[in-house]
Order: sequence, then C-alpha cells, then structure tokens
Amino acid sequence: MTRDRYGFLLLLHAEWTKFRTVRGWVTGTVAAALLVVLFAVLAGIGGGDGGPDVPVGPDGGPVTDSFYLVHRPLTGDGSVTAAVSAPRSSLPRGLADLRPGRVPWSKAGLIIKAGTRQGSPYAAIMLTGGHGVRMQDGYTRDTAGPAGAAPRWLRLDRSGEEVTGLASADGTHWTRVGTVRVRGLGTTVLGGPFVASPPAVRGMGTSGSVSTAVFEDLHAEGGWADGKWKGEQVGPRSPTFSGYPRNVAGSVAEEGGRLTVTGAGDIAPAVRASLPTGGTLGEILTGAFAALVAVVVIGTQFITSEYRGSLIHLTLAAAPRRGRVLAAKAIVLWTVTFAAGLVGAAVAVPVGGRLARASGVYVFPVAFATELRVVAGIAALLATASVLALAVGAVLRHGAGAVSAVVVGIVLPYVLVAIPFMPAGVSNWAARVTPAAAFAVQQTLVPYDQVASVYTPYEGYYPLPPWAGLGVLAGYAAAALAVAAVLLHRRDA
Amino acid sequence: MSPTGIVVAGLRKRYGAAPALDGMSFSVRPGVVTGFVGPNGAGKSTTMRVILGLDAVEAGAALVDGRPYRSLRRPLNRVGSLLDAAAPHPGRSGRDHLLWLAHAQGLASRRVDQVIEQVGLAPAARRRGGAYSLGMRQRLGIAAALLGDPPILMLDEPFNGMDPDGIIWMRAFLRSLAAQGRAVLVSSHLMSEVQDVADHLVVAGRGRALADAAVDDLVAAVSEGRVTLRTTAAPHATAVLVRAGASVVAGGRDTVTVSGLPADRIAALLGAGAVPFSEVSAHRATLEDVYLELTREAVEYRAATSTEVRR
Amino acid sequence: MRAALHAEWTKLRTVAAPRWLLLGAIAATAALGAGAAWAAASVDGGATTVPSLIGVRLGQAPVAVLGVLVIGGEYGTGMIRATLAATPRRTAVLAAKAVVLTGAVAPAGAVAVLGSAAAERLILPAADGPTPRAIGGSVLYLVLIALLGLGVAAIVRDAASGAGAVLALLYLLPVLTRAIGGPRWLQRIGPAGPDGPWTGLGVTAGWAAAALLVGGLLLHVRDA
Repeated sequence: MTRDRYGFLLLLHAEWTKFRTVRGWVTGTVAAALLVVLFAVLAGIGGGDGGPDVPVGPDGGPVTDSFYLVHRPLTGDGSVTAAVSAPRSSLPRGLADLRPGRVPWSKAGLIIKAGTRQGSPYAAIMLTGGHGVRMQDGYTRDTAGPAGAAPRWLRLDRSGEEVTGLASADGTHWTRVGTVRVRGLGTTVLGGPFVASPPAVRGMGTSGSVSTAVFEDLHAEGGWADGKWKGEQVGPRSPTFSGYPRNVAGSVAEEGGRLTVTGAGDIAPAVRASLPTGGTLGEILTGAFAALVAVVVIGTQFITSEYRGSLIHLTLAAAPRRGRVLAAKAIVLWTVTFAAGLVGAAVAVPVGGRLARASGVYVFPVAFATELRVVAGIAALLATASVLALAVGAVLRHGAGAVSAVVVGIVLPYVLVAIPFMPAGVSNWAARVTPAAAFAVQQTLVPYDQVASVYTPYEGYYPLPPWAGLGVLAGYAAAALAVAAVLLHRRDA
Repeated sequence: MSPTGIVVAGLRKRYGAAPALDGMSFSVRPGVVTGFVGPNGAGKSTTMRVILGLDAVEAGAALVDGRPYRSLRRPLNRVGSLLDAAAPHPGRSGRDHLLWLAHAQGLASRRVDQVIEQVGLAPAARRRGGAYSLGMRQRLGIAAALLGDPPILMLDEPFNGMDPDGIIWMRAFLRSLAAQGRAVLVSSHLMSEVQDVADHLVVAGRGRALADAAVDDLVAAVSEGRVTLRTTAAPHATAVLVRAGASVVAGGRDTVTVSGLPADRIAALLGAGAVPFSEVSAHRATLEDVYLELTREAVEYRAATSTEVRR
Repeated sequence: MRAALHAEWTKLRTVAAPRWLLLGAIAATAALGAGAAWAAASVDGGATTVPSLIGVRLGQAPVAVLGVLVIGGEYGTGMIRATLAATPRRTAVLAAKAVVLTGAVAPAGAVAVLGSAAAERLILPAADGPTPRAIGGSVLYLVLIALLGLGVAAIVRDAASGAGAVLALLYLLPVLTRAIGGPRWLQRIGPAGPDGPWTGLGVTAGWAAAALLVGGLLLHVRDA
C-alpha cells in the first residue's frame, strides 16, 4: 500500500515534468493569468464618466433614497398618525400613456428620517401595493406587519433613537409592528407621510412607475415644529433614481384635511437594476473568460497530444494502471491551473477595482471574505474547467473537438444567459444545470425580497449559491473523468 | 533539351542559430538509384523538403527538371515523393487519400486503383488510415509517390517500419523503377538498407554533401591501402604491427584491418615475430566502412567508445 | 485551380467529421431557435420577444470548427506536406479550401436557418418572424464564420488552438465588452457583430478576410 502510494507520487512527478517541459503549456498558463489581469486593467481604465455620487446607506451599501416626502421637523420625541389608503399605481404604456397597474412594492406611509441627505438613517411604517403593512429601517431591514384590507391607520412613535411602528384597522385597536433603534438619527429629524413607487418588473426589464395615496386624519403629537406640511422630492438627481414617467411629477395636495400624495422612487437597498452603471467584481474579472479558453486548450492538449504522438503508449507502458494516469494528469493540471488563476485573480481584483474607482466607476462594495471567495472561486473554476477539458479530450481523443465541446459547453450557456432579453426562467435554468453554473462564484450582489427587480445572471444574480454553482461544474468534470477512465480501460491505447 | 533529374546547389538554411543546411550540393540522375545517407540531423529530410518547395532556404537552389518545384503545374506527374511515411487522415481510407491526391493532379480515379495494386495495398485500401501499420503507411506513401507516374522519385526513409519481406520487396521495386529510366533518390540513416540498391551515393553530414560519387568508386577509395588480416592472435599481431607504424582496426571475429603497411611487409613482420596468421589479403570495404570513414568527423551524437588503436 | 478544388472536395467528402459538424450545425441552430421561441411563448404568451434566429449563435460553433479542421487537421497529421507537394501554389490551396468550405457551409447553413425560422413561426405564430433579409444574412454569416475558422487555423497551424481562438473571438468578445463601461470599440469590432448577424455582417466579413489574408500570407512564407 505504501509502495503503491509512492508509485502514485512518481506518476504525479512524471506528469508534472511532462507539463512543465512543454513551453507552450507553461506560456499558455501564464498567459491565462495575465489575461485575467489585463482585462481587469482594461475594464478599470475603460471607466465611466463619473456622474453624481451613489448614495450610500448607514452600513456602507449603495441605496435608493429617492421618494416623495411630506414633512415637518420634529425635535425630540413625538409621534405621527394617519389613515392611509392603499397606493394606486400607474405604469406607462407607450410614450405618454399612463395606465393603472400593479406595483407590489409601492409604498405609502409614515417616515421619520434624519434629513433629506442621501443615505441618512430612517425608520418607516407603510402600506404596500401587494405586501400588506411593513416596517422598514436602515434601507435593508424589513418587518412584516398585519395583512388585510386598506385603509389602515398607521402610527410612528419616536423616543430618542427608538422608533416604534404601529398599525390598526380601526384607529382604536393598535398592533405594534416593530421597534427599531435608528443610530445617528439626531435630535431634530424630519417626519411625515411619504409615497414611493419603485420601477416595476415587466418582462425582462423594469419600467418606472408612479403611485398616489390619500392620507386622512393626519395628526402629529410631541415636539413637532408648527407650520404647514411641506412636500419635497428626496434625491431627485440620484443615480439610483430613474425619475418619473413623462408628464407626471411628485406632488401633495390638501383638500378638507385629506392629503393626496403622488410619488415615485424608492427607499431601499440599491440592486443592479437600480444602479446599472455600477460595477461588480465579476465584471472586473471578465478576463476569466479569455483565460478559460486558454486553460481549456491546454487541458485538452495535455491528453490529446499524447495520442497524436503515440506518447500514450510510452505513458501507459510506464504506468499500466490507466485510471491512475488520468488521475495524476487531472491533479497536476488542476493544481497548476488553480495556482495560475489564483495569482491572476488576486492581482486583478484590487488593481481593476482601484482603477475603476479612480476613473469614476462606482463598484458595488464587497466584504474582504467575499473578495477572497471570488478570487479562489475563479481560480477553482478555471482549474475545474481545465480538468473537464482533459477528461473530454481523453474521451474524444481529438483536440479541436474537445476544445469546442468544452468551450461551447461552458461559455455558450453563459452567453445565452448574458443576453439581456432572455426570459428569466430560461436563463436561471441554464445557470443551474449547465457547466456555466460555476460562474455563480462571481456573484457579489445580494438580492432583496423587499426590492422587486430582475434577478437574473445577466444582472449579476445567480440562482445557485457560489459553491453549489462550482459544484455543478465539478460534477460535470467528475462525470467526464469517470467516462474517460472507463474508456481508457476498455479501449486500445 | 532541359536537364532531367534533381539538381541541388549550395543550399543554406538555419533553424535559429543552428545551421541545418550548410552548402548542400548534389545531383540525382535518371536511370540510377541514388542513396542519400548520413546520420540523423545531417540535413537529409530538410533537403528533401526544400526540393519539394516545402521549406525555404537562405541561399542556393533546388531544381527539378531545371525548374523550382513550386513552379510546376502538375508536380506529382514530375516528382513523386514520400516524406516521413504518408500521413493520411485517421478517418479517411487509404484509397480516398490517394483519390484526393489524384484529383489534385487531374488524374482519373482508375490510376488510384492501379497504384494500389502496384504496391500491394489492395486488401487494406478501404480501411481507415488510422488503422494502418507503419509498413502499410509506407506502402500507401509509395503509392502516392507513384500516382503521377513521375520520372523522378524521392523517398525519405522508405524502409522505416517495414518487415524483412517488405524490405526485400522495396529493394527490388526501387531497382525496377531505376531500370525504367527514372531518377530515384532514397534517403536512409542505415547504410545496410541501401547497400544492395544504390548505384550512386550522396553522403550527408552537418548540412553538407561529404561525398557525391558512384558506390564502386567510393568503396575502392576507402579500400585502398588497407589489408585484411586473419589471425587467432589478434592482440599480439596488433602490437607487432603498431610498433612498425601501422594503424590497426578490429574487424570481425579473428580479423583486423591494417592500414599504413603493404601486405608483403605485414606478412614479413608477422613471420619474423612468430605470430600465427591464416590470411593476408587486400581489404574490400563495405558501404558501412565508407559511411563511417566519411562521417567520422560529421557525426554529432557519436558514442564515445572507439575500437581503434593508434600509436 | 480546378484540380485543387476537386482535390479539396474529395478530402471534405471522404471523412465523416464535416458531415457530422454540418448536421450538428443544422440541429443546433434549429433546436436553440425552437427552444428560445418555446421559452418566450411559455413565459409571456408570446409577448416577450426573443431575438429571432438566435439559434445561429449555437450553430456557428460547429461551422467554425469545420473551418478550423479543413486546414488545422492537416497540420495535425502532417498531411499538409502532401497537399503542398501536390499543389505547390499555396494560395491556390487556401483559395480552394475556402471555395469548397463555402460550397459546403452555404447549403447546410440555409437548411439550418430556414429550419430555425420555420420552428419559430410554428411555435410563435403571432411574432413577425425573421425577414428574408435576416435569413440571407444569417446564412452568409455562417459562411463567413467558417472562413474565419479557416483563416485562423492557417495562422495557428493547430486544430485545437485554432478552435479555441475562433470560439474565443465568437463568444468571448461579447462577454468581455460587458466589462465595466466596456471599451465600446471592442463591441463594434467583434466578429460576432453587436446586435446579431445581419448588422455586423460587414464586420464579420472584415474579420474573415483579414484572417484569410494573414493566413494565406503566412502559408506562403512559412516552411510547411
């Protein structure tokens, strides 16, 4: 047994020697790593035109902070109460034609916010178009309240940094939806009714919407400043705000104690569709595709060149247990490619990110651990793809055929997925079952339940978690290796 | 009348810094088999590729019937060639391989079946090329060379991978081709293969033609002044003769080849020294000797052992 | 030239790979086209539009590989030397290969594109379907992709690397241009064209011509 293991080490050494002594393979592997870096640099300096600053929430993530706010200043503690009608939403059909439509996450309710500064902390209670009463704060947190028919009485109670949201069906019996601690709220805040109407998902894209709600019995208690309720569009020129449909604007109108408020936009975390100019790590690592083709060619040739020169006879004479030869080749190839990919990605990510930020592109922020996962994931993706190529090469024994099969098998699904108008169902299916699923390792964006958007691979959201996606590719590679091992045994060399 | 055969004049070519051809010159005449011999790396295959217009040279020219190969209209009708065995597509049958070659020369497919018969490949003609043995690939290559019924044939290592039957067949075949008045150039790195076939010999070494002469003349030149001595006491005899100023090379069992002394003087010396011997005769060199003599300096990868004893 | 054409045609029809690749191209084009149309029909009752003749994006792969193999395969076996010994005029060899390739890909491409169009019409009767102009453009596109493969393989002289290079040109440039703020010029100059076959046809033709030109030049000056 120990001798056996020793024998396998010899085999590994032999395959490593074979690999490193073919100049084209070593050059190709180094080139693959360089391609990753090169495209990161290209992507970085390709740059954008700067544009207005992306609003950033209290936890550092990009946010959408654009909605219609009707406010009065509140100093110290106080509460605000109103009976709110369900928001009625309209969507544009054609150029100037607005038709009633459903916007499930349209919001009408009460908010207490540190100010109109983009990204400032807040807490709000609201009635949504399709998800009942919600209490939200800090842009990313969302708590469900009682479901049921509108109109609803809503109340927001501020005490220091604590804000409590309450809901009632009749204005007498109140249910507490939640109490949140809003850090950095300050002494004097703005508060009052608000209406938000995020873009609605239509087909494979989104289109801007506008919503209107009626607030009755609005009354404020506590340290509210005197004076009229003042209407204002928060964040009108934010890059995360897609604006109003044509011929509509945010407004507030008072008539007999009823406030009719019309607004668009959202107060929520920014997702890819709301910040299309934002960059992701995946885009900085686009060079991985070029590298992929290089490592696939090398992986294929690592085995097919043996058949062309009949070197395979010598190889199998030296190590008659054929499955072990294949295993040794796979291990050497995976390790070498992983190392090259790791170096390439580890250089590309910080360099590309820095260049992109320097040229004014907003890059979606990621935690260091996520960055490490993306770098290691890309390296593993390249390494696993090269082993898949090796196995397919062993099965087909034909270089061009194997290269085409693997490149088409991995890249084509990705390209199809990357067609923006591909139905989400189809592209999510492709990103689940094809080898392209492995590109999930690139994902750094977080989808949010409370933001209706297009969460497709094209936008940078994969249906599988990163390691599961990689697992799909590894599954293909393992299956191909198994077939190759069986064929290698059965066939004449 | 235009010159016939192949004329190679002053070919020079480098691969990187290493010279592959360094003034290679010789000619191949009709009606004879010309052997093209030399150690591996002497430039034989490169020369043949240059003749076929596959490789370019920095200086010199290779002419076929007085013209560069690349200017020939239907080249296979002028020169038939075999380079490193035929390389058919593994998925294409031998017959189909010949078929496309025939079509490239505007030849009828009837001709394909003729050459298949001629080289004895008929039973395997419709099998996939990938299943051919090296010997079968050689026969397929010969068939391809014969396709255009060319007056000039150029075969690179045609004996490679052939069984003894095949080698005997090949020798007879090459002689018959020359007898039909064709110019035949056959390269080999093994002297024994062209031994009984070549009338004329071009010996290549370090990218040059070291000799370009009739086989008989070469053998005579190398044989001159050498004596074969048959003795049961070779070490003793060697000692005596070397002391008298001769060079002695071990030959076969019980024989040594002596140079530098005439036969009668050798007999006298051995008699005086009481060394027993059974024969002293004029040496008849083999082609092997010729080859070794000519390439001694030119061999680049020679083993470091020598049986030669010098003073 | 006629003899060289005849020889190349004989080469093409006497091995199985070209037949399978062309059949594969037809099947892939029609299958992806039908699949996409079916997906569109099932998602939104046909209201969503899937780019017509999208199947060409898959069908181009086997066609490109065929173009690569026509010359790359000869380098793999060493047969290229027999080819050039038989036809020493190297430009004639490449030209003959290009003509024969065109002759093989054009009818197969027509079947593929028409099959895909028919499938789309069958599944999505409401949609407009591809125009005759788009159909013709797609067939021409497939021919140009095959020629691009031929040219690239003549440059790299290896079937596997050639296939890798061509597929990279076809599939990677569109992906790479999605890089942040992507160099837009890249998008416009990719052989696969910016918005599918017809619009980018001139660019594709430019790529094919350039690859053939460089390949032919190298074939002329390099040792075989």
